[in-house]
Amino acid sequence: MSKQVLQFVMLFVGMLLAQVICNRICLFGVAVPLVFIYFIIRLPINLSVNWVMCLSFLLGLCVDIFGDTQGMNALAATILAAGRKPVSLLYFPREYDLGNPVPSIRSLGLSVYAKYMLTAVLLYCVAVFVIQAFSLRHIEITLLRILSSTLLTFLVLLGFDSIATTRREKRL
Amino acid sequence: MKNLLDFIIKYSSWFVFLFFAVMSCLLLFQSNPYQHSIYFTSANAVSSAVYGLFNNVTSYFHLRGINEDLQQRNAMLENEVVSLRNQINDYKMQMPDTNSVRPEYQNFDFVIAHVISNSISQPYNYITINRGRADGVLPEMGVVDQNGVVGIVNVVGEHSARIISLLNPNLRLSCKVKDSDFFGSLVWDCVSPQYAVLEELPRHVEFENGDTIITSGYSAVFPEGLIVGTIEGQMPTNDDNFYTLKIKLTTDFSRLSTVRAISNGMKEELDALEAADFGNGKKGGRK
Repeated sequence: MSKQVLQFVMLFVGMLLAQVICNRICLFGVAVPLVFIYFIIRLPINLSVNWVMCLSFLLGLCVDIFGDTQGMNALAATILAAGRKPVSLLYFPREYDLGNPVPSIRSLGLSVYAKYMLTAVLLYCVAVFVIQAFSLRHIEITLLRILSSTLLTFLVLLGFDSIATTRREKRL
Repeated sequence: MKNLLDFIIKYSSWFVFLFFAVMSCLLLFQSNPYQHSIYFTSANAVSSAVYGLFNNVTSYFHLRGINEDLQQRNAMLENEVVSLRNQINDYKMQMPDTNSVRPEYQNFDFVIAHVISNSISQPYNYITINRGRADGVLPEMGVVDQNGVVGIVNVVGEHSARIISLLNPNLRLSCKVKDSDFFGSLVWDCVSPQYAVLEELPRHVEFENGDTIITSGYSAVFPEGLIVGTIEGQMPTNDDNFYTLKIKLTTDFSRLSTVRAISNGMKEELDALEAADFGNGKKGGRK
């Protein structure tokens, strides 16, 4: 158990640093990779919602501090944390075996995991760009940002996953 | 009492959610950009240290471009020195007392700093530099780089500071068309990091596309005559008395590296005068 806690602490710090680097990326002026939500997606599914929200808020706040976005990511991450359970209920099989509660390709299969991840990423991108757009008039740019960022983030996160799985397979 | 506790435990996740949502909204809607606490900005000790580390690696990538910019700027300044020298010589011939020919920038001093974090993709962009209070950087100092105006310092730490970028609608800059005295207000419209909008320029000002836009010097933040951009064209406007112009910014915000913070020796005096004139009710005015 403590090994898993340590892993998630490292994931927390790793995702924060990855996001700090990714803050500099902005493809075609619209697509931003919001990679740090990988941490929220990967939290064990049987962890209490309160814990998920605390950790998500904390991570979002750290990202805000580094990116000077003043609570935007903290709010969106809290929304994602609250919405994670309903999203998982959409796709996860009823008889889901809690032997391995961490959502991953191995425990869920590629199609369920990809659908779960895509929905979570979309939820987050909608939240964060709508919060940003509160003071913006350009609705079409906001929509473009949501769609392109969702796609980019989803692809990058699948890439993360493939790295994580190959390492585990090598170890086996 | 037991029922209340049961209720709170049953719906605890809603309370936690509301708590965090309210917390982040408080952060989000602190309206005045000058009131942000240092701990919640990128100018705090931890994040500026991390950014400093990254910057040690990445700062080499832009050197070629920066070098070219500096060469051009250098050539321009050399030309200017030659022409000014000629002018002073002319004045000297006309009048023996040259004390009346004073340089305009004598009250301004510069602090050189490196940009360690910079964003251009957000609607409200900020820049972090690696110089702070210990190096003489103070809030509301103007910041320029070799190409033009960059922004205004807003939060200052011991060895780092956060700048409101010109690419931030909270910043309005008083500007004028070079060689005229009519001024307008430059603000970013959240569209492209290369362009900004000059508003409230009177209708009777004569200008052509490509004319240079410079700071007006009507505040203590920037001295008069710093280059901001060039006129790209007119934009549609609802007001018949004023032009709205699209301005191409000369500063390339995607590759900022070394910037200068301008400290004004007379700022305190000017601020005291303004406060005496208008009282304290003139917040959010022109910078």
